[in-house]
Amino acid sequence: MGAKIEFQSRMTHLRIGIIALSILTLISAPMLFAEGPDDTINKMRRSLVRIQTVSQEPDYTSPWNPGRISRGTGAGFVISGNRIVTNAHVISNARLITVTREGDPKPYPARVVAVGHDCDLAVLEPENKSFFDGMVALEFGELPAIESTVMAYGYPIGGDRLSVTRGIVSRIDFQTYSHSGADMHLTIQIDAAINPGNSGGPVMQDGKVVGVAFQGYSGDVAQSTGYMIPTPVVRRFLADIEDGTYDRYMDLSLTYYPMFSPAARRAKGLPSDDIGVIVGTVFGGGSSAGIVQSGDVITAIDGNPVASDGSVNLDGERVEMAEIVERKFKGDTVALDVVREGEPKSLVVTLDKPFPYAKYANAYDVAPKYLVFGGLVFQPMDQNFLNANPVENLRTRFIFDNFLSDQLYKDREEIVVLSGILEDPVNSFAKPYLYDIIDKVNDQPIRTMQDLANAFDQKADRYVLEFLGGSRPFVLERNAVDEAKDRILSNYGVRTDRNLTE
Amino acid sequence: MNFDTMQILPRPSLILLCAALLAPMGSHAGTTPPPTNRDQIRKDVATPSMKSSLVRVNSTNQNYQLLRPWTKRSPYNRRGTGVVLTGNRILVTAELVANANFVELENPETQDRSPAKVQLVDYEANLAILAPADPTFLDSMTPVRIADHLAVGDSVEVTQMEPTGSLARTPGTITTISQGSYPADGTSLVTYSVSVPLQYRDNSFNLPVFAGDQLAGLLMRYDARTQTAELVPAPVIQAFLHRTKHSPYQSFSRLGILLASNRDPKFRRYLEMQPDQSGIYVSGVTTGSPADIAGLKNGDVILSIDGQVLDDDGNYEHPMYGKISFAHHIATERFPGDEVAIDILRDGEKQSLKATLAPRDPQKMVSEPFLIDRAPSYVVLGGIVMQELSRAVLKEWGGEWQKNAPQRLVYLDEFQDELPADRGKVIFISQILPSDASLGYEDVGMVVVESINDRPIRSLQDVTEAAKHPINGFHYIRIDADPRLLILDAKEVDTGAEELKRNYNLPALEQM
Repeated sequence: MGAKIEFQSRMTHLRIGIIALSILTLISAPMLFAEGPDDTINKMRRSLVRIQTVSQEPDYTSPWNPGRISRGTGAGFVISGNRIVTNAHVISNARLITVTREGDPKPYPARVVAVGHDCDLAVLEPENKSFFDGMVALEFGELPAIESTVMAYGYPIGGDRLSVTRGIVSRIDFQTYSHSGADMHLTIQIDAAINPGNSGGPVMQDGKVVGVAFQGYSGDVAQSTGYMIPTPVVRRFLADIEDGTYDRYMDLSLTYYPMFSPAARRAKGLPSDDIGVIVGTVFGGGSSAGIVQSGDVITAIDGNPVASDGSVNLDGERVEMAEIVERKFKGDTVALDVVREGEPKSLVVTLDKPFPYAKYANAYDVAPKYLVFGGLVFQPMDQNFLNANPVENLRTRFIFDNFLSDQLYKDREEIVVLSGILEDPVNSFAKPYLYDIIDKVNDQPIRTMQDLANAFDQKADRYVLEFLGGSRPFVLERNAVDEAKDRILSNYGVRTDRNLTE
Repeated sequence: MNFDTMQILPRPSLILLCAALLAPMGSHAGTTPPPTNRDQIRKDVATPSMKSSLVRVNSTNQNYQLLRPWTKRSPYNRRGTGVVLTGNRILVTAELVANANFVELENPETQDRSPAKVQLVDYEANLAILAPADPTFLDSMTPVRIADHLAVGDSVEVTQMEPTGSLARTPGTITTISQGSYPADGTSLVTYSVSVPLQYRDNSFNLPVFAGDQLAGLLMRYDARTQTAELVPAPVIQAFLHRTKHSPYQSFSRLGILLASNRDPKFRRYLEMQPDQSGIYVSGVTTGSPADIAGLKNGDVILSIDGQVLDDDGNYEHPMYGKISFAHHIATERFPGDEVAIDILRDGEKQSLKATLAPRDPQKMVSEPFLIDRAPSYVVLGGIVMQELSRAVLKEWGGEWQKNAPQRLVYLDEFQDELPADRGKVIFISQILPSDASLGYEDVGMVVVESINDRPIRSLQDVTEAAKHPINGFHYIRIDADPRLLILDAKEVDTGAEELKRNYNLPALEQM
């Protein structure tokens, strides 16, 4: 999956070109709405929105730094209620968002009403509602049929004006959404040319939106493979944010496996009817914890029989059983029929915990947490941190990678590592501990960044730092730390010694 | 995986000797070997000459394919130069004869040949003793003496045998004597580093190095870029030969501790060490090791061993080598069964302990460092192949095995000291040979077996024993990763066994 890229990331190469061209356009004669021969294109001109952003990415290697500023362009479209739908990755980490209409040079500043990073969708609202004068709201359609033709609209590279490409629906499948990198949802693959700048643009069929273009492969990996977010995912997002907050996708928080093995079926007392999947791991703290057990065989979900490959029949399509949970919201329940120890049981899981893989997802619009003490920099391990700091330390990697599967979250909520050393006499000999996990300070267990801050805030003559599997404790002496503090912060340009909130 | 690739080098720039030998030998225009005077050697009876002390050794070795443990790889040949010792013995490096099927000796003068057998081998010390099948084979030859008292700055000569049988001798200088890593994983003993510009003459795997007419060591690797050779040096050879007098042979001792430098003054103050005190910090003690039995504990500072004061990195002042790790004293200068005096600082108080030395038993380790000269063990149950975790198996993933091998297995190997004392071996599923019995589990692999039929699995013997006790006609194999549980029909396993063997051409469904 490493080859799959988000359009945003490829846009960085084009950024200057896009901006330079757009300025030229702004200077040249403004275009007004032109009447085309085709009604559809005419409607699209009144629905499509060009989105330009200035964003600032946090710096996870020097977390006190304000971060790099970059520009990007994406697409969006108007829907009912004077709202604009686009991709989350178009507006992530944005400091300024402007929206423009096709043929109208005026940029309208906009704000984010809601964003779902787990489904790569966002809703924007221009500050000036006159933006919607003369605009047409698009409606959503259903899942398009395989082999049917769709049209993608957007502002991809190669020019400055609206672009249309045509393709057919190649595949409907679960795919990883590369914006978060950890979430999988229903995805539609089309063979229309979808390029950087198409992101957030509508994909149309019969005058209705059947998808939002969002990701693809770079040309050297696969050609003619573009992906769009289908309307069940978009609808779910819009319904979730109706109450003003986005609750994210809910999850059963368990793993399940096909029940192909005839021996296992006999041992579990199941008929050979190809029904049922076996539960592998139930994550503690998740929605199913205490209700579902490892080894349970799930035979039905909400009354839909679960085939031994984990699929259910939904609206005439065979889809992954997770799709049933996918369409639900926080507080909803899921009815599971299971066979446990040969006995059929009916279980009800209330979906109140989100997807447990947050640590493995790219996060946006967050500030990096860090703490500097005696020139030692501590940060919590998460995907953002790893993207910036390729940690190879075997123990640290193992604990991060198996945090869920081995239930290591029972030992610590956050994996706090020594992420950097601002070298100074006060912290000499600290090098071997780089990327080790801090376990205790003065015998107090460190389970979170806050624990660490509390431990360092307590007055003590010396601080004895114990790292997991570390060769020996590391000692900092309070007088030396105090005396060095201002020197280290000013030498290394650290504006403040901590940020403990995202 | 060849034994030679087990060499984890202290410096990445070092090039494996065997790797260098893969390069075509070609001509060596411009370099003339130092002339050797055959007449003089022949006539020279009073001083044993080198040439009459060296034999050519040809070894045909064959390694197992550890992830298909019923299969051997193609055989390969190694040539080396053996050194004649007293008692009708020949000394070579262990690498030369690792996994040897057949060893043959050749007298370079007469070209007489004799098969030989490996009489004794110590893979940790990288030394082996060969005995010729023909007891008269070495009669015309002269045993060498092992050099004593070599020090940094002394001159030595690396000796290579030409295809013609004549000797090429390249002078060099001992530049460093230190505790260095040996080819067997996790082993370090004293080495001589010799600065010498070597040109390979013949496919020679181990080269004797002489100081005068005495053996200074056997070359175990050479870095062509820095022109540095590393030797199994005379002191290790002498200690090895001394050990051969005792039966059963016992390898080089180690205390069984993990160490951390004590140079950080903040840490010394925390430990309440006096300014004039020095010593090495103990950060871990292996269960059952001499240090453990002696009562050493995590957090102790070792101040001296046998009265020799240690510095903050654990070195003592050796009368000839200068500063060298105390591990040299433990391994090479003292012998298994010896008692050593250890002075420690614990909670600011000085204490004296006595440790009785013993080598580690690699076969008792959770994950064995090497698997040589024996077939890897395995059990196939209904197509599920179960094997013991070992460093040797992990190295089947090649040079970057730490990255490429399954992370959990690498982790268990690397941190095996932290596992519970009764952990036993780690048994993992290396692959599944699809069969009726294992249908539905084809994708499972590289997972650790926790229990079978509710019996904990700490060895392959446990597997065969547990397999005799199915529960209600089924085998329940619990693994440490999803899907967590594999279920086999015991009857299907039994009835399908012969077909499985036939189908996959397995010689046996288990090998212990």
